[in-house]
Amino acid sequence: MDIINEPKKTPLHDIHIKLGAKMVHFAGFKMPVQYTGIIKEHEAVRTTAGVFDISHMGELLLEGNDVISFLQYMMINDLNLLEPFKGQYSCMCYENGTVIDDMVYYEEDKTQFRMIVNAGNIEKDIKWLNEHIGERDVKIANLSSARARVAFQGPKSEEYLQPLMDVDLAQINRFYFRKCSLDGNPVFIARTGYTGERGFELSFDVEYATRIWNKFIEIGATPAGLGARDSLRLEACYSLYGHEINDSITPVEAGLSWLVKPKEGIDYFGKEVLIHQKTKGTERVLVGLNLLDKGIIRDDNKIFKDDTEIGYITSGGYSPTLKKTIGLGLVTKQYSEIGQELFIEIRNKRLKGIITSTPFYRNI
Amino acid sequence: MDYKFPKDLKYTDTHEWVKIEENIAIIGITDYAQYQLGDIVYIELPDKGQTFRKGDSATEIESVKAVGEIIIPLSGTIMDTNTNLIESPELINSSPFKEGWIIKIKISNKEEASDLLSIEDYIILVNEEDQ
Repeated sequence: MDIINEPKKTPLHDIHIKLGAKMVHFAGFKMPVQYTGIIKEHEAVRTTAGVFDISHMGELLLEGNDVISFLQYMMINDLNLLEPFKGQYSCMCYENGTVIDDMVYYEEDKTQFRMIVNAGNIEKDIKWLNEHIGERDVKIANLSSARARVAFQGPKSEEYLQPLMDVDLAQINRFYFRKCSLDGNPVFIARTGYTGERGFELSFDVEYATRIWNKFIEIGATPAGLGARDSLRLEACYSLYGHEINDSITPVEAGLSWLVKPKEGIDYFGKEVLIHQKTKGTERVLVGLNLLDKGIIRDDNKIFKDDTEIGYITSGGYSPTLKKTIGLGLVTKQYSEIGQELFIEIRNKRLKGIITSTPFYRNI
Repeated sequence: MDYKFPKDLKYTDTHEWVKIEENIAIIGITDYAQYQLGDIVYIELPDKGQTFRKGDSATEIESVKAVGEIIIPLSGTIMDTNTNLIESPELINSSPFKEGWIIKIKISNKEEASDLLSIEDYIILVNEEDQ
């Protein structure tokens, strides 16, 4: 007997339906892929502000006296760079350097960290973390379904949000957060994002979810779905787990070697392999490309240099901002220079492309 | 969803619309089809003079998230294609029955037109699919 679990709904599901969203199944959830159209929503985020329901993502609270040393062991980035009210992006890797997940964690104080993980990896991450606590004083609580999460992104995001806040948003630097009040509701708000625009990511108790979302729409934010979320992050060249990073790609291959920190005297999963890769380089590297011929490139399209297969597309699509087809791909290092022309195989045709500098767009 | 269903057209069960004028058929995709595809960003038009048989697939239509194809509803030869769609593929989304027309075919076998769906039958099909 085959049991297929009914996809879960986020706390904002009914509002998405009311707004006329086209829904898809993603990571076990029913999520809005678009409301008015992917391109329109993408453009709204690039010009004013858009709001995304990201409640499908995981939210964990790690508490205990040994949280910092535990995370130093589990993460490739260095928690010595943190301070209270600051967050950090990292990958969590296996011993062989490949990626279990990428995440952002925030230091609330020395014994309490909040971590946001990818929706599809929540169970995997919790299991991996719990398996390695050992004798340490660390407890992990899964707040994913008790809280809702929304991203508020765009050049006007601060202007729209400030009147609702009891803190001065201008005082919150990138990657810092506050716990404060939004229109009378307690929220966690961080200046982070996945769109390449200025903006915030918020988390709050599910009981405030609908009223906060409705307030966001009222103040002028455009509801934006997973379609726009993907086209925005592609232009900004942010990795998507399962594409640029996964359990057969290392952060160094994926252009994230800046996350690999020396952490002298501290052992962490993947350290040996990753430091080696960071110093010696890797056989394949992630590059950005523009399509020169007309068409659209998609994930897994093969990349060729003349008749030799040299890699594949990890993410591809149409860039509404640049009005051209762009992509990210893993290619043999030898052919990874900017300006290198190559061919991308789409169905039965080979289209001409060129390696270009990245990111394609950022406005932070 | 309120899809548009112009009364003066014929339809197919693969969501093309067909307007027959003498022995010329103008073909596009329906409002339901463009909504399912999402924002269209690229279309590959066939060449004038190319011949197709009913049931052939032609003309890949790429949206941000998907790929669609036209299934040729009537055998014939391509007389004309809507080259505006090369620069503005989004016309298919905004005006699927007018500015978003895709190809014009010189029909070679008018009897095939009897297989096309009436507007009533097409509406029933869409209501069934759109659950």
